[in-house]
Amino acid sequence: MTVFEIWLGAFLTLAIFSFLYRDNPVYRLAESAFAGISAGYYIGLIWESVIVQFLWVPMTNPENPKVWLVIPLFLGLLMFARLFSGTALGKYVWLSRIGLAFVMGSTAGVFLMSELHGNVLGQMFGTMQVQSAQGEPAVLLTIIVAVGVIATLIYFYFSKEHTGALGVTAKVGIWFIMISFGAHFGYTVMGRISLLIGRVYFLWNDWLGSFLF
Amino acid sequence: MKQTLPVAVAFISGLIMVVAFFMRSDVPVIGGLSQEVLIWGSIVGGFTLLLGAASITRVNFNAVRLRRSGWGFNLITLVSVFVMALPAILGTFFPGVRWFGTGTGSLYDWMFTYISIPMQGTMFAMLAFYIASAAYRAFRARTAEATLLLLTASLVMLWRVPLGEWLLTAIHSDLPSLVNTYVMSGVNLSVQRGIIIGAALGAATMSLRILLGIERTYMGRG
Amino acid sequence: MSLWDRIDKLDRRWIFLLVGIAVIIPLFVNMEAEISITPEARQLFEAVDALPNDSSIVLVTFDLYAFSLAETEPMARAALHHLFSKNIRVVTVTTIPLGGPSIAERVTREVAAEYGKTYGVDFVNLGYKPNYVSVLRGMGTDIRSIYPTDNSGTVLDSLPLMNEVFNYDDLDFIFVTADNGIVDFWISIVQAQYGIPVGAGVTAVMAPKQYAYVGSGQMTGLLGGMKGAAEYELLVERADLGVKGMAIQSLIHFLIIALIAVGNIAYFISLRRKRRGQA
Repeated sequence: MTVFEIWLGAFLTLAIFSFLYRDNPVYRLAESAFAGISAGYYIGLIWESVIVQFLWVPMTNPENPKVWLVIPLFLGLLMFARLFSGTALGKYVWLSRIGLAFVMGSTAGVFLMSELHGNVLGQMFGTMQVQSAQGEPAVLLTIIVAVGVIATLIYFYFSKEHTGALGVTAKVGIWFIMISFGAHFGYTVMGRISLLIGRVYFLWNDWLGSFLF
Repeated sequence: MKQTLPVAVAFISGLIMVVAFFMRSDVPVIGGLSQEVLIWGSIVGGFTLLLGAASITRVNFNAVRLRRSGWGFNLITLVSVFVMALPAILGTFFPGVRWFGTGTGSLYDWMFTYISIPMQGTMFAMLAFYIASAAYRAFRARTAEATLLLLTASLVMLWRVPLGEWLLTAIHSDLPSLVNTYVMSGVNLSVQRGIIIGAALGAATMSLRILLGIERTYMGRG
Repeated sequence: MSLWDRIDKLDRRWIFLLVGIAVIIPLFVNMEAEISITPEARQLFEAVDALPNDSSIVLVTFDLYAFSLAETEPMARAALHHLFSKNIRVVTVTTIPLGGPSIAERVTREVAAEYGKTYGVDFVNLGYKPNYVSVLRGMGTDIRSIYPTDNSGTVLDSLPLMNEVFNYDDLDFIFVTADNGIVDFWISIVQAQYGIPVGAGVTAVMAPKQYAYVGSGQMTGLLGGMKGAAEYELLVERADLGVKGMAIQSLIHFLIIALIAVGNIAYFISLRRKRRGQA
């Protein structure tokens, strides 16, 4: 990193951190630039990875031109009909649905099978086997996992009122869920602090370190 | 037409992927057809991202054109879009120019590395301050369930850092190992598994509804 | 207003200041403590370590945004150190449009340079293509049809490494680094259908869910957050940001636990006084 790059990074870091005190123009300047750079990044990336590499190169290949790629190109361009909303061309907005439906349909086709095969069957299989701790079969752990999975599923089962045996199981479920969410909160705290550590190390080592020590 | 054509497109593209799941990729017709659907899906998916970028540009352009309050910031966004995107696109037409294109050493790559990364990192780093504040102000042991959540969170926070683990070990040498086995790989695992199974069943159901044209909310109104 | 009422209604900027002080202290005071290795991290290390040297090819994914680099970059670097030190060839890929290709390119080239690795022979960056479902599913049949070129536009056939890689059958392991739900799809779409082992280094926020996949055997090892990164750094003997960050991490965790305790004490004392006042 050059000195300019380090100082630029430090200025932007401090500009964003300044929001901790209160909203201010320096923060908004950085925020606006961030939004623009992100949108510009998308444009550059899709230009290179889709329009050039996925469409232009194969369609203009002299040996085997894939002219049929004009169809997804057309479907993609139809997406921009969304921008007609509120204009004189508003009645053509629905055309954008065709491209969207293609993506939704193909994604749904993959998910229909992968969710059942990869997640439902995979996780059910994992529950039906003896759990192990430190490489050894663990009876207590196996019971905890089996009870926890069933109780959690029942807690989220809303088609029948949670009374009687169902209510007791759902109550067990909420206790399990609270422990899991607590663990999740602990991990989330850890994650957010890690991100702060990354910026602190940049300011300390790269920026202050470049002229203080 | 406005509803039927998109539903038919979704059904056909989805059906191809469902059938392809049960067949080897080298099965004639369906193997090639499903791969083509995926390629087309990627291409159209790319245009959805472009649409998002175009939408941001349009909103900011209108704000500048109409001199709305704070339009100077919208102008900065607009300029940033073009400073980022234009050299990237020009790289296709002038491949010899070092600053153009999207590769290492390009203006595009430089701006991302030295402007976008520090800003993105800092925006999320700020959450450390807010999560500490939230823990102090909102994390109250009002009920037995909340107390359980609070105690587990504290235990896991201790377990995941070296000093905390040292403290737990001082209480009982097996405590860190027990937290990993019975809290994370036991109770937490079972709940996450229940959620995964439930969510997967929901996703599969929703997928089937989309394929059959029952679910149409993704199309919007009109 | 009593002292406990004031503590209960403390301006959040005082909390921010406390966090700021807690971050700075470990920079001046040595607070190192022993970092233990969890069974999940060791499982991942051992799975990668068991891959045959020289002949193996591993797919490393950079499914991450720039915001999470403090957690995910140390993992990716440690993984690449492990792989390159074993002369294992690496193919990188990303499903994240905002920065994924740039991050993959920079990190991989920097680590590869330390081992004198050559682009195209020892490692290749395929970059990004939209729609992760298309990418994950499509690579199972034919990588070339999803990635006609690498990240910089070079046709794959002209890269020697890619003459050995056509689909998942040609890969020995997938090392996912991720800060979002894409990691689930590497399991449900790729591991489940193609049987290739998948290990993951994920942000702390993502980690608790992944225990379900590790427990079912669908995921081969897990690194969770910066602590996970520190564990892998120690396993490959390349201490970096993950290990360095543990001192600050420790102190702020203690601070937050203390804040929760003080916040609750102040809340209950204030509540009791209000009830007494009402009575």
